[in-house]
Amino acid sequence: MNAVDVADALVRHAPDSLYVSSLGTATSALRKASNDGPHLYFGGAMGSALPAALGVADAVPARQVVALLGDGELLMGVSSLWSVSSLAPRNLVVVVLADGRYSITGGQPLAGATRFAEVANILPGLSGAQATTAGELVSVLGTIPRPGLVEAVIDDRAWPGWSPFVDPHAVRARFAANVAAGPDVTSSQP
Amino acid sequence: MANGERAAGKPIMLSSPLAWQVELADALVAGGVTVAAFVPDSRLDGIMARLGERELPVRSLAREEECIAFAAGHRIAGLKPVVLMQSSGIGNALNSLASFAIPYGLGLPLVLSMRGTLGESNPSQVPMGRATPAVLDAVGIQAFPLRSESDIADVTRGVLSLAYEAQACAAILLEPQLGGGRERG
Repeated sequence: MNAVDVADALVRHAPDSLYVSSLGTATSALRKASNDGPHLYFGGAMGSALPAALGVADAVPARQVVALLGDGELLMGVSSLWSVSSLAPRNLVVVVLADGRYSITGGQPLAGATRFAEVANILPGLSGAQATTAGELVSVLGTIPRPGLVEAVIDDRAWPGWSPFVDPHAVRARFAANVAAGPDVTSSQP
Repeated sequence: MANGERAAGKPIMLSSPLAWQVELADALVAGGVTVAAFVPDSRLDGIMARLGERELPVRSLAREEECIAFAAGHRIAGLKPVVLMQSSGIGNALNSLASFAIPYGLGLPLVLSMRGTLGESNPSQVPMGRATPAVLDAVGIQAFPLRSESDIADVTRGVLSLAYEAQACAAILLEPQLGGGRERG
């Protein structure tokens, strides 16, 4: 499974969710899978994508929110998992592209094993799971309680191809319009 | 209010808020603020308690950087967040300010409880406190020191206008002269 397989499975399964992607591979993969859909793509601020997604989930309880994160990204902002556990929004799921590498800077290894799914399962109010194929990912997303974290195990580290450098003002305007115009999809979890 | 039933983030207040803390909290509510994200501080306690009394959703988060990104998430959704933290947290917050909120044009009002300035007794607080106005200025954030209760309404209204109308992050600096801090230990 590669990063685009993950993003593709997400947007096909839950096209109406609000997506927040972290800088680098996650943004590149989501842009490709959604044909540059109106999502909140991060171009920087490593470690901040999850709290931003938490803010969106808190602000827009009628919509499902998906945070698509690199594993290095989540490691850098890992305290946010405790904030997610504390606020426990029922409309947030976190999908981590787990390849143990900093892809955007050249594929250097992370400092150690992340084991985010296990961490999530230990924290009160948060559930964790792992998926190794796109089919498994869709299946897990259908059953994991919210807030939940799914570690998508990446064994094919192909670069998605789309630029991870986005126009921040265009991203803001399109995402804000998506929030404002979007349907109530509370009942259809990704 | 999203997830409003939960208790997390409900500030604990050991003594009654000071008059200026009540006034500042009320000015934030009057200015249309919809949520407050914060990392706790003694000078902020009375403000948070009053915001809770006014039934404003308050969200205690683990790190200042999270508060900025969380508030930016509210802002992009069209709501009006405020972020409160100690000035020493600005170091932690810079990444999400300079590489997210500011380039994305998401104006946030910041309420910073100043440490390291007049009367500080902890050496470790001094460098960041002294650098706070310059650091904010370096990333384009205007900061307005508040030393007197009589300026609270005007400064708060002005900073909220910069954030929500001009879409520029702007800060209120709560100086020690207001009282309620712990410069002496």
